[in-house]
Amino acid sequence: MHELSLAADVIELVTQEAGKHEVSVIEEVLIEIGDLSGVEADIFEHAMKMVSKDTLLEAAVVKIKRTPGKGHCNFCNNDFEMKSFFDQCPNCQHFTTEILEGREFRVVSLVTS
Amino acid sequence: MCETCGCGNPDEVNIHGPGHHHDHEHDHHHDHEHEQAHVHEHEHEHDGHWHSHSHEHKPKKVIDLNQDILTENNRLAEWNRGYFEGKKVICFNLVSSPGSGKTTILEKTIRELIPSRKIFVIEGDQQTSKDADRIEKAGAPSVQINTGSGCHLDARMVHSALHKMEIENNSILFIENVGNLVCPALFDLGEKKRVLVISVTEGDDKPEKYPYMFRSANLCLINKTDLLPYVDFDIETVMNSAKQLNPDLEFIRVSAKSGEGMDKWYEWLGKQG
Repeated sequence: MHELSLAADVIELVTQEAGKHEVSVIEEVLIEIGDLSGVEADIFEHAMKMVSKDTLLEAAVVKIKRTPGKGHCNFCNNDFEMKSFFDQCPNCQHFTTEILEGREFRVVSLVTS
Repeated sequence: MCETCGCGNPDEVNIHGPGHHHDHEHDHHHDHEHEQAHVHEHEHEHDGHWHSHSHEHKPKKVIDLNQDILTENNRLAEWNRGYFEGKKVICFNLVSSPGSGKTTILEKTIRELIPSRKIFVIEGDQQTSKDADRIEKAGAPSVQINTGSGCHLDARMVHSALHKMEIENNSILFIENVGNLVCPALFDLGEKKRVLVISVTEGDDKPEKYPYMFRSANLCLINKTDLLPYVDFDIETVMNSAKQLNPDLEFIRVSAKSGEGMDKWYEWLGKQG
């Protein structure tokens, strides 16, 4: 549900940046969504289609780069892939985890003509 | 334009005092659009570089941004946070699903603390000022944010509400967020502590179902303990699974209705500043 307001934020952000670079047509926007970001990529992609109507992103291709979650176990210093916050360290089964990667939610780049 | 902080747009979200009522006629349709116009002020420069493709007529330009999408919310949240610190205001963001008892807990808290502390409240709901009305009756000044179709409060809305209030130094500000265990987890409002209210009637599997919210909270109030004899709710189960996500999460068991445990909640509040 919050994907809609986040998509609106992206439109605003991109519009501002486009203005700075004096471009009016965006062909492609690359967005990074981490698996632990709290943002559902499919819903977000759909939301982008909805809110980009009548904006300079209307015809742009939205590309999503997914970043897997990566955690660091503070107990045994093992780094491991995390699919959810509940993943325990596969090495020692502890839950004392620090999230290293996977919380990203950013506009990486724009391709314009 | 706000002269103090430079924030610039009119309130597209409806923010008002209590006692704001809509007349509902048969042919009158209320449509609060959840529009967000955000002002982005970027302080750093981005490199743009040119790619020319021989098979295309026009060269394409790739603009690298690497811009965190929640940057603007976080910027405003930090502004709010600085404002609170400057005025020695302790701000709490109360989050929960609808009906867990946030407003009742606040009513009781206000009546208990008002003789010794100044309290202000920002209420968030999609529609109505019912909660702000209750808070005013309990004795604290409040402002109601109606988000329309929006599902969470964000830092901009709180910032706008602050403009409509005269919050005193050394006071407590409670922000009662929209009832929702999903979206508010992502939006920093500038609070000092985030208080998650769950009730014993909601089932003891909430940490697993809503991990983002449990990770983001500082204190979990388990409310409606007076109903424990009538429901299948194992407090240890909730605490154990929540602590896996968030080892620092504190727990207090309360019943706003019977008063049980509320003294521990007031004690916790007192320790925050």
